[in-house]
Amino acid sequence: MVAGGRAQFDGVTLRGVTESTPPSNFVSDVLAPKFEELTGIRVEIETTSWDQMYDKAIKDMEAGTGIYDMVYLEQDIVYAYLARDFLVDVTAALQEHPDLQAPGYDEANFTTFADNFRGENGGLYGTPMEAFIKVYLYRTDLFEDEEIRAAFQEQTGRELEPAKTHEEYAEIAEFFTRWGQEHDLDLWGTTAQAHTGHPASWYEYFESVAPTYGVYDWGIKPDQNYAASVENGGEMNSDEAKAAMTWWLSMRDLAPPESVQSTWTEVATTFAAGRAAQGLVYGENAAWIATDDSQSRVVGEVGVAMPPLEDGVMEDAESGEGYIGYYDGGAFGMPVTSNNQDAALLFMQFMALPEVQEDWAIAGSRITLNSTYDAPRVQEVDAELGGYYTMLRDDGRLFKGAPEYPFHRQLIEATAPIFYQILTGDLEPGEGLDQMAAKSEEELTSLGYRTN
Amino acid sequence: MQRQRPWLSILFWVLISFLTLFPIYWLFVISVKPAVDLFSTPDLILKSFYWDNYTEVLSDRTLRGYMMNSLIVSTGNAVLVTTLGFLACYALTRYDLGGKESIFFWMITNRMAPPAVFLLPLFLLMTQYYRIGDFTLLDTKIGLILVYCTLNLPFAIWTLRPTVEGIPKELDEAAYVDGASAWKVITEIVFPLARPGVAVTLILTWVFAWNEYLLAATLTNFNARTLTTGLSEYVTTTGTEWGIMATISVFTLIPALIVFSLVQRHIVTGLTFGAVKG
Amino acid sequence: MQSNKLGWFLLAPTLVVLFFFGVIPFFYVVWLAFHQWNPFAVNPEIVFNGAANFRQLVFDQGFLASLGVTIAFVFFAVTTELIIGYALAQAFMRDFPGKAFFRTIHTLPLIMAPIIVGSIWKLMTTPSIGIIPQFLDNWFGYDLNIGQSALAAFTVTVIMDVWHWTPLVTLTMIAALVSLPPDPFEQAQIDGANKRQIFWHITLPMIRPAILATVFIRLMDALRTVDEVLMLTGGGPGSATRYLGVHIFKEVFPKTNYGYGSAVSVIVLYLTIVVCWLLFVALIAPRNKKG
Repeated sequence: MVAGGRAQFDGVTLRGVTESTPPSNFVSDVLAPKFEELTGIRVEIETTSWDQMYDKAIKDMEAGTGIYDMVYLEQDIVYAYLARDFLVDVTAALQEHPDLQAPGYDEANFTTFADNFRGENGGLYGTPMEAFIKVYLYRTDLFEDEEIRAAFQEQTGRELEPAKTHEEYAEIAEFFTRWGQEHDLDLWGTTAQAHTGHPASWYEYFESVAPTYGVYDWGIKPDQNYAASVENGGEMNSDEAKAAMTWWLSMRDLAPPESVQSTWTEVATTFAAGRAAQGLVYGENAAWIATDDSQSRVVGEVGVAMPPLEDGVMEDAESGEGYIGYYDGGAFGMPVTSNNQDAALLFMQFMALPEVQEDWAIAGSRITLNSTYDAPRVQEVDAELGGYYTMLRDDGRLFKGAPEYPFHRQLIEATAPIFYQILTGDLEPGEGLDQMAAKSEEELTSLGYRTN
Repeated sequence: MQRQRPWLSILFWVLISFLTLFPIYWLFVISVKPAVDLFSTPDLILKSFYWDNYTEVLSDRTLRGYMMNSLIVSTGNAVLVTTLGFLACYALTRYDLGGKESIFFWMITNRMAPPAVFLLPLFLLMTQYYRIGDFTLLDTKIGLILVYCTLNLPFAIWTLRPTVEGIPKELDEAAYVDGASAWKVITEIVFPLARPGVAVTLILTWVFAWNEYLLAATLTNFNARTLTTGLSEYVTTTGTEWGIMATISVFTLIPALIVFSLVQRHIVTGLTFGAVKG
Repeated sequence: MQSNKLGWFLLAPTLVVLFFFGVIPFFYVVWLAFHQWNPFAVNPEIVFNGAANFRQLVFDQGFLASLGVTIAFVFFAVTTELIIGYALAQAFMRDFPGKAFFRTIHTLPLIMAPIIVGSIWKLMTTPSIGIIPQFLDNWFGYDLNIGQSALAAFTVTVIMDVWHWTPLVTLTMIAALVSLPPDPFEQAQIDGANKRQIFWHITLPMIRPAILATVFIRLMDALRTVDEVLMLTGGGPGSATRYLGVHIFKEVFPKTNYGYGSAVSVIVLYLTIVVCWLLFVALIAPRNKKG
């Protein structure tokens, strides 16, 4: 790549912090050595847990210590970092240093997911490295079983097909949970990410369920003084939000009993263990569930579909006013406090070169460049995954990441205790959402976003 | 002591041991199962073994480095706090220092701090203030050894004090009369008599340091990471790899087990904890 | 007696280390407790706000609830550990073959990291796939669900703590029992005292210092519990197991509410010190009387 740069970067070591996910592991195991071979720049990646990753990056950037040259940006934290000007504008930095521009790197090649990491000026603040949508998975072997289809037909009067609406989804869930009981199988009708003490449940409701009822961006209205309650113009406790909550709780009751202790991991493993007939599962797990027989008992039996929706939601999504589910992922960004910005700039481009992306897509089941969809091996895998990549390419735009709030985790933690009480039944869904909306406004007021 | 029906005692202890060992057995069970098998009706008895977690952990070079760091940090810290604690206890029990009970209690309170908040000042101090030139304490083994003193020194002083107190002062005084130096009295007269207490203090502080998680997770990055922080790498948004975690846990148990059985016989005599006879 | 100068000299290294890594951070936290600081608020700066954090704390339902469950947790855990630990220590006072072996086994939980203990208990108690709910359901028809029932989750955290820390209590109790002089017991037997009388009037007063010392150390450790519970229940269901350590963790890590979190920590530390001070006074009072 930059052969002449060798002397300039002699002895430079880049340090990054991330979670230990398959895509991150690919960075430290494959990309880093390759990059060092090319440029002489060493890359060390610190992997740690989700909580720790944020905490360490924030402490470093807040105190200006300069420990990290690259930090992992979960799509939901980037707005908080941007609000604090923690990150370097990569687009602008490359314009300033054309000599550091890597041949083959093209910002326009990124999928729409990269837009999540753009600032108000349109500059890119991170190299996307993970990108997934939370999809509706169903068991093809069950859905195609003649006996099951006949029984379903008899009970409901319709063909067994992946659900398009919440009503259909509930009907299928009820059917399979009963089927499991009657046949003494460890089988339930749906998954539920409904942990009663971990924010994973909060995420499932607000990012994957509420939008399918037309409640977007957590029901908070930034243009109306960050209102959350209906009386102030928000939607967090609207009738739609309450209907979504009631429906989701009824699905939770049909899900396997471990669901009350399930985060994203356990939901995926529950599905992979063959305990659920259908469910909403994060896309990063879809790949191994469908293909890795050392981790999954349902290899080759996984179908992918769009989440069930209420009327009007698809129209909202098509027009860009709403969305149908969660587009999840992350990027590597560079803190302004980094002491090796030039070298980091090179590595961030290196990660986005088309030639490294095909292997990466296979290893981590993620795609961040448009050109990667056409790679032959990616297309092969797509077939095994029941068309997951095709859906990511064609319908990815209908999904959306977390709303553009800089107070993401603050708001979640403030309202989560009330949310958990709804899950345990201590609060009625309606009353609970009313309290959550009030609590949100209170928290946003104390943080200074909402003014009285 | 009563000697009737030893088999009853044995039976009782077999039952108790079953309860004690069961979670540890279960840890092992988890480590030899593929993740997907954890999500099914559990079997009490293992029918097959799945060793992939072990091959993965054993072939991981970083984890070996973490193991080494853990050994150095916990051993260094245990030796340091036991030495300092021993000297402090000698001072507290042999000298008429003004306000010594208050000092003693204050030293113990250092262990009571809820750790989450104290990480922030420790991080700032270790990166910005406690530095010599470019050398900072963050992400160093020595830094971790020093930080663990706030947890372990109070504990060491608490356990050692009764031991040192229980050694008759007449012994020191006789030695001083014979012209021995303070150093000689401490190392050659008091220390040998305090050995059981010292052994217990060493092992328990070692175990606390070996098992500490939150401080190590925040205050190390690349060079001084310990085995428990290695565990946290497997709790992520995409997956908690229970099998690997359990396997690493099994490995963290081995050194602790060895150290523990080495000093087992001292433990009872050494742990007097303030139960000094009148 | 040698000069006190030497005494201070021997104490000095300990005081220095604790000063740099205990006192200075403590003062920083106290200072922060009087400030408003959340790096992701509209104003990310550290702003002095007087006693506002403390005023807020008095009415903070979340904090008060957390304080309540913590007290209950510490009470049940430490009491159970004391009773079981004492009983087991008594059982170890008999002679039987394999005693050393069983004692080693009994101390094994002590060597396990809290974060590991939490993981194992989570996997053992997850509804439907954990071995314990499975067992309870098959044998007693009891549905243990730590994700739904506050009582179940609370009980499991207590049992987990008892499993983890009873061995320490047993060991200290053994040490205390071994060091008891035999004379008073023989005398009492001659006088015809029954077992219960011997326990209440002779054993208990004599091992009282050991009991207080053990409660002291267990109490302050139990009040700081974080890792195990965070791993097991995450503080749930609802806020049923959101003990102070967990509460502070959530306030400081995900919420980055550093100012308020510091205030909570200062109060928790203060309460811990008060309780421990009372125990400490009870512990050293007889000692001073004698001297």
